[in-house]
Amino acid sequence: MTENPHPAGVQALYPFLYADARADLDSVLTQVRESTVAKAAEIVELRKVVLAREAPRLAACAAAMAARFAAGGRLYTFGNGGSSTDAAEVATTYLHPSSGRTLPALSLTNDVAVMTALSNDIGFDVVFARQLAALGRSRDIAFGLSTSGGSTNVVRAFEEANRRGMLTVGLSGYAGGKMAELDSIDYLFVIPSPSVHRIQEAQTTVYHVLWELTQQALGATDERAATAAV
Amino acid sequence: MSLILSLEAATPVASARRESAGQALAGQAEAVARACYDMAVRFHQGGKLIVFGNGGAGTDANHVAVEFVHPVIVGKRALPAMALTNDPATVTGVANREGFAEVFAHQLRCFADPPDIALGISADGECVNVGRGLAVARELGLLTVALVGGDGGAVGRGGAVDHVLVAMSTDPAVVKEVHVTMYHVLWELVHVFFEQPGLLGPEVIR
Repeated sequence: MTENPHPAGVQALYPFLYADARADLDSVLTQVRESTVAKAAEIVELRKVVLAREAPRLAACAAAMAARFAAGGRLYTFGNGGSSTDAAEVATTYLHPSSGRTLPALSLTNDVAVMTALSNDIGFDVVFARQLAALGRSRDIAFGLSTSGGSTNVVRAFEEANRRGMLTVGLSGYAGGKMAELDSIDYLFVIPSPSVHRIQEAQTTVYHVLWELTQQALGATDERAATAAV
Repeated sequence: MSLILSLEAATPVASARRESAGQALAGQAEAVARACYDMAVRFHQGGKLIVFGNGGAGTDANHVAVEFVHPVIVGKRALPAMALTNDPATVTGVANREGFAEVFAHQLRCFADPPDIALGISADGECVNVGRGLAVARELGLLTVALVGGDGGAVGRGGAVDHVLVAMSTDPAVVKEVHVTMYHVLWELVHVFFEQPGLLGPEVIR
């Protein structure tokens, strides 16, 4: 027999938990609805501010990425936790796009054998840097994401990529974190928000727009090449 | 016009293209609130969250799982969640033998319990394997939730879904961006219900 976890005595002690549950539910549902409306407005505004502020640098970054791809470069992406899922999304966006040109891209968290081997034998701080040391060539692109800007393995990866002459692109949040102090990141896009969730949402927009502009730049490159060939 | 200037001019267009879809999320606030409440009840009953999708939505499935299991906000409790895109051996094995439509449904049959929540993500709502996953989840007694875009597609119309949340765009990139906000909000607001004792029924949290 299952014991009632809320015997009558408890209900008598805390009647507000039981008698008013329905009224409470309605008020919490209202609070939750208002929260969704507020967050929708917050991210719409943040997106607008970031894209308006970063338009010139997004254009320059996309042109630089397009030049690397045109030269046969590959894109390597990396991040931790939620940002690792963004790294995977960035890679598949270039590799298997909804439209446009297919471009070579690889997310560095895909290979569990490599990730665990490096973490176990050397340490978690090198899981991306060592892969870039093995795979990266000077014409390639390193693309790292961190909401705090402080992930040590992401910072180490940028330093390795920069040493190898790769183009380096970073996305971070808050005030930029450690990533904002590095000389090894060619294009750093900082999302100025105190919310890790809004930062990730705006980062998603930034890397989608970068992809759109890179496709556009490659189209322009192709047109110029076609014109030159005539 | 130079390449850089033409790229620079494209950014405000990309920004404007996102605005109405972002604002339209406010119109889903009631549906989001109801979904969060039902999800909180399921977690309270000992259920776990099972998430699935293809391509970019597969990365969202992983993101949702890590969001619940390892919250970024200190002090929020860990809740059980898993993505069905993690295991390439099983995904490719099922796809090879039973067909790609079964990759999520198969794992749900093996892993799901009736109090669980199935969350399927599909930018156009037309992913057959996501629809199959949600249909099997419904048969098993799970709460079913779908994040879709456009007109909701076959998943939205199928009738196997308790809560359909729609991102109002036909551009898969914009749909994904709205989905990220949606699942962040789902995570945050499920916890709001946990913080109000007495709302979720007498079941004891595991």
